[in-house]
This record gives sequence, structure tokens and C-alpha cells, in this order.
Amino acid sequence: MSHDHGNVLPSYLKVFFTLMALTLLTVAAAKLVHFPDIAFIPGYVVNIVVGLAIAVVKVTAVMYIFMHLKFDNPMLRFFVYVPVFLFFVLSFALNFLEKWTYHH
Amino acid sequence: MSSALNLSHEPVTKIASGKLSMWAFLASELMFFSGFFGAFIVLRNSNYEVFKAGSEQLSWVLALVNTFILIGSSLTMALAIYHLERQNTKLFRAFMGLSILGGFGFLIVKYFEYSAKYHHHLFPGQEEHTIFFSFYFLMTGFHAMHVIGGMIPMAYMLFRSYGKGGYPYPVKVETLGLYWHFVDLMWIFIFPALYLIFP
Repeated sequence: MSHDHGNVLPSYLKVFFTLMALTLLTVAAAKLVHFPDIAFIPGYVVNIVVGLAIAVVKVTAVMYIFMHLKFDNPMLRFFVYVPVFLFFVLSFALNFLEKWTYHH
Repeated sequence: MSSALNLSHEPVTKIASGKLSMWAFLASELMFFSGFFGAFIVLRNSNYEVFKAGSEQLSWVLALVNTFILIGSSLTMALAIYHLERQNTKLFRAFMGLSILGGFGFLIVKYFEYSAKYHHHLFPGQEEHTIFFSFYFLMTGFHAMHVIGGMIPMAYMLFRSYGKGGYPYPVKVETLGLYWHFVDLMWIFIFPALYLIFP
């Protein structure tokens, strides 16, 4: 980091508390809530999607602020977003393919 | 010591080559963990009842505590880098020490988890839940090895900071910080995948 990017401490703390809150939300969504079916998507798949979606938000916050993607050369973001995106495609695709293969 | 990093020798990327290499390494790490997650998802969905029964044997409360510890350790790591760049060696030491303590705390909780599983005969090769516990020990075990692997250079940097002039290479700490945050990221996925999402 060659350049000063202002005071980052408030954003560090914001990310920290967001991560804490989202962690509790993940637990609550998985342990307490049974989602209803939405259109053709069964409720248990909604549960999985919600869990993954919260994880995606948490990961993005960590990479953007803690790992300084916000402050570094924007080119770096492409290097990072592509493998991360492929990782999500993998987990979603496998989940959905398998669900529809074995349960329908 | 100037904390300003001269990037004039990186005219194209404007990123220190060590940091860029760390990102490339983390991308390969992501692929490494993707193999586990891919196999986990496929086998989980074809043996759903076995995996659900296995997951119910785990203590999600301990895993939640570990999640908080790792997130806290990530924050203190970011703060350690912040203070080293401002040449505040005392606060750098304090926050680096806290990050290492977080790693230790994580491993101690993990030790209690593992020994409880061992006492209840919940490990691969037993009659029940054996596929699930193969994944449990493989994924959490590799993750714990990453935690240990991060703590060693962190301890070295903390040790070096007691020398004259403090630790002289902020960009190296930042590079190691990327790795430490990645370990946190992987736990963010492992926690719901193994402990929680079995509707």
C-alpha cells in the first residue's frame, strides 16, 4: 500500500460487527427457520441457498475491506472475483443437479 | 524506516509482486478446497440421511465460538498491519500477539471438539456416519493445518519486531495477512456446510 486511504479503522470495525451479526443470522436461519417452498424450489433448497448467500456476503466483505481489494489496483479484483465466482458456480451447480437427480 | 512502498518497479500491476503471488497462491488454495466441497456436496446429497445424522453429532456451539475467534483474529490482523504501516510498533506487537492468541484459541477449541469425537467413537472406520466423519476430519483438519501454518510466520514477525527498529517489512505482514484472512474465509464456508445446513 503506497498511498494513504484515509482512516480505515471505522470500516474495519463495521466489517467486524457485520461478520458477527451475519454469523448469528446463519445459525438462526439454519436452526430455527424452515423455509416454505417458493414456486418450484422446495423449502430445504431455499435453506441451503440462504446459508450460501449469507456466506457469500461475509466473504465479499472480508475480501473487499480486510484484504484491501477496495484500495488496491482494480485489476486485482478480476483475478480474485473469477475463481471465487467459479467456486460459487461449482457449489450451486452441484447442489441443484444432485437435488434434482436424487429427490425428483 | 519508511512504510511507503515504492511501486515504481511494478509499472504494470502497481501491486507488490509478493502480494500478487499470494493472491495466485490463494486462488490455487481455493481450487484445493473446491475439490473437498465438490465431493462433499455430491456425497452429501446422495447419502443425505447419513450426513444429517453425522452433522447432528457435532457441536455447532463450539464451532460458533471458533467462528467468532477467527473473525476477531482477522480484525486484529488487519489492525496490526494498519499500525505497522503507521510505524506504531507497540500496537503492532499487541495486535499481532492477539492474532496469534486467536489462532491458539481456535486450536484449543478444536482439540476439545476432536477429543469429544474420539471418545464417542465418531471417526472414519467406525460403523456409523463414517463417510461424514471422513469429510469432517479432512476438511477441518486441513483447515486447522492452515491455521498452524499461518501462526508460525506470524510468531516470527512478532519476534523480529522486538529487534532494533521494529519489524521492517510492512508489505510482508500485509501479504501474510491475506493468507490469514483466507483461512477465515474458508472457515466461513466450512462452518455452515458441516455444522448447520441440514434442513
